[in-house]
Amino acid sequence: MSISEHTHDGDPSTEIANVPRESPVGRLAATVERLSREVSRAQAEAEGRALIELAKGILVERLGCGPAQAARQLTELAEQSQVTPLEFAVDVINQAARDRMSEVAEAFLAATAAAADEQAAESAAVRLRAAESGALAADDTQAVADALLQQALLPLGAVAVAIWAAGSDGSLTLAGSAGFSPAEAARWRYVPPDVATVARSGLTGPEGQWFMSLADTGLPSVGRHQYPHGGRVAVPAGTGGRVHGVLEIAWPVPLAPQPPQVVRQVEALAELCAHTLETRMPAPGAGLEPRVLPDAAELMDLADGLHDPALVLVPHLDDSGNLADFLIQHVNDRFLDPAGRPRAVVNGTLLLQAYPMAAGESELFQRVERVYATGEPFRARRMNLTALVDQVPLSAVADISISRHGNAVLLIWRIEDETARLASLLQHAQRLGRIGGFEENLLTGEITWNGQLFDLYGRPETSTPVPLEQLPAHAHPDDAVTIGRFLRTVMHHRRPASAAFRLARPDGVTRHIRVVAEPVLDTDDRLLMVRGACQDISAQHWTEVALAATRDQLAHTEQQASERDRLTLQLQHAIMPPAQAPLKMDGLQVAVRYRPAETEQLVGGDWYDAVVLPNRLVLLCVGDVAGHGIEAATTMVVLRNALRGLAVTGAGPGQLLSWLNIVAHHLTGGVTATAVCGLYDPSRRTLRWARAGHLPPVLVRDGSAAPLPLVKGILLGAVPEARYEEAETQLAAEDTLLMYTDGLVERRDRSVEESLTQLLTTVRTAPTTLDQQLDRLLTYSRSDTDDDTCLVGVRLG
Amino acid sequence: MPIAQNPLSVEVTLPRQDVALLTVEGYLDVDTATEFQHHLANQLHHGRRHFLLDLSAVPFMDSSGMNIILRVYQEARELPGSVHIIKPTPAVRRILDLTGVSITVPVSESVEDALALVDGQGGAAGDPVERQDG
Repeated sequence: MSISEHTHDGDPSTEIANVPRESPVGRLAATVERLSREVSRAQAEAEGRALIELAKGILVERLGCGPAQAARQLTELAEQSQVTPLEFAVDVINQAARDRMSEVAEAFLAATAAAADEQAAESAAVRLRAAESGALAADDTQAVADALLQQALLPLGAVAVAIWAAGSDGSLTLAGSAGFSPAEAARWRYVPPDVATVARSGLTGPEGQWFMSLADTGLPSVGRHQYPHGGRVAVPAGTGGRVHGVLEIAWPVPLAPQPPQVVRQVEALAELCAHTLETRMPAPGAGLEPRVLPDAAELMDLADGLHDPALVLVPHLDDSGNLADFLIQHVNDRFLDPAGRPRAVVNGTLLLQAYPMAAGESELFQRVERVYATGEPFRARRMNLTALVDQVPLSAVADISISRHGNAVLLIWRIEDETARLASLLQHAQRLGRIGGFEENLLTGEITWNGQLFDLYGRPETSTPVPLEQLPAHAHPDDAVTIGRFLRTVMHHRRPASAAFRLARPDGVTRHIRVVAEPVLDTDDRLLMVRGACQDISAQHWTEVALAATRDQLAHTEQQASERDRLTLQLQHAIMPPAQAPLKMDGLQVAVRYRPAETEQLVGGDWYDAVVLPNRLVLLCVGDVAGHGIEAATTMVVLRNALRGLAVTGAGPGQLLSWLNIVAHHLTGGVTATAVCGLYDPSRRTLRWARAGHLPPVLVRDGSAAPLPLVKGILLGAVPEARYEEAETQLAAEDTLLMYTDGLVERRDRSVEESLTQLLTTVRTAPTTLDQQLDRLLTYSRSDTDDDTCLVGVRLG
Repeated sequence: MPIAQNPLSVEVTLPRQDVALLTVEGYLDVDTATEFQHHLANQLHHGRRHFLLDLSAVPFMDSSGMNIILRVYQEARELPGSVHIIKPTPAVRRILDLTGVSITVPVSESVEDALALVDGQGGAAGDPVERQDG
């Protein structure tokens, strides 16, 4: 709708350009424009009369009636609503305009109606509308100030108002004031840049500053002597993201915190001021304002001439005319994207799209926004910039310069120079390499340590550093000689030196430290200082020691080792295939498993045997020769074959082991072995057995498992003569007997007892076949010593 | 300088001139057995005949450790001398019983008990010159 069509001939030349009419600001501007025509006509009349006229105009349009009828209608409707015609007129205008002014007025009404102070609320709405009307009627900012004070601010208890115009250099010019003495206003006509005043503080944020009392702020401002303890408010006056000035309001008494309605009312008034400031011509002579604003094209040329990466930014407004982002209009040819994108990709995108992190902690976006708003250039050294590369934030430290030129912003950055980067790199390298630095003045005794060195020493940073001289007291006693030599080289011979020593820390931890130091001589060639660094080489140290040991070992055996290992493995496989077809005879199943150690050179001396002797007894045995490698494997062959041969004599297991002990004892090299030897009599279903230092067999019967008793018998080869106790066990149908070597159960972190218990639990739930049971035992073995393992299982049919 | 992660500590004292008490601390296994053997060989070389092995701080012993004990046992027997194991931890005691070593090598609960056995054995050996400190 348009009021002007019906009430007045429009004059398009007074339209405010450059503001989208759809946005709230634009609509406000349009309203302003409309009202200004109305008001200029009613200038001589009372403000209220102008409003009534305006309302009449609206009614004419709405009701399609003549002005006289509209006037009657207005009076009647006001009577019906029991309000004054003026208030009713404001209602009509508010409804018609639906602008920010009416929004504020409605909110105000709603809030205060609840407080049963409808009269005051309605008059506030009138006030605001009247102020708007008055402000627009004024020709200049001075008149605006008068109107604002009279119409809107006096009712709020304020006594004076100042409207400041902000210069791009950060200066403030008093564009208009009311309520202050003319002399005071003249004194404050201009505030140079960087002078902290109340008005300036109002530029720090979009919500401005609300001071309870001017005296508390310590800031100077216009009229301070007149109202030293009164409240002050300074609100930025801006449109479309650009700040044109500040609205400053003075109260005579301290100002209590104001309700949001009042805050919004003041903000609305500030926006009103911005429109008048926007169109304000700089006063002749006062103007340091640039008269010719270089357009973006010129700025792009300038950017191209710079030796640092530069971006030309222009504001990007959202639908409602608020500043939403900046368009990257141009990047110069020095520009290198921190994220590594080509220039063309960055060119023409929005700042926050290209650098979403700019809105984050680096505050880059806020800086640009502020420079654009106020025109004050911004410069910073070593600002942290973060770019998002494939969702990975990468940060760079840069020197930044931001300045406004006309309607564009020039952003220049210089990524931190190489020297500084190297210093920072060094710091990180020191931290990562666990290097601590020190400097010791030998004349003054002053010692400087960096934080890392305190860490290395295991001392709090608040403690006193340890002088070099006292180093031996903090080191392993065995390293005293090394440290002594080191100190002598540096202090006495005054030559750089290094040493490795074991640092005994107060917390009981020993660290291997390499210390490097150099003397610093003064002009008379006297020793002035010693400086140096300590590095924690503990991890490196052990690696070196282990490497050296391994290397020696390798040099010794490398050539033979692999051949021997292969030979051993072949030998073992030849004698005992890893799996063997189960041995079956009447009423007896025998299955065997051999699992070599995972590491080839650990191939050991485990063996098993299950053979039917001429006397129809079944020889069952498992043995383990101590040690690994070819010696253990050959001993195993000797013992296994010896036992087979001895068993043919028909002697009992105890006697067999006694003889086997003699064989083992007389083998060269003093080897020892353990074995368990059993003779099963199929006719009686009995097992006669003895053991030589070996784990006893395990009997699984009716879902429970238990080891056979620990009969006495020393391991083979330890003594020249040994006796072995025998035991006899009666077996029953479905019984399973397990004989095994300790590779199956040996663990470092628990006793054989515990491992055995675990083993027994595993075998308790017997799977269907003996083979399955043995496989399962190997699978679930919790052994951790990577030893080879032999397993013999016997099940009665 | 120890190489292993769990270094072995062996402390040697001489309760008698010919009696070496070796207090062992740490794992007696394939990594540490050689070091232990060197200590024993050194004492043999210095003419000790009786070896008291305090194993109260040995949480784990494998066959390598066992073999060192057996070796010194065999060498001491020929001198003649003796080997005594003192206060083994349950895990080590279990290994000693399992392998039957405890049948041959006496196990004592204290150094004093072991020394008493050494003295008794020395008496039984009937060699007064060897017992001059007894």
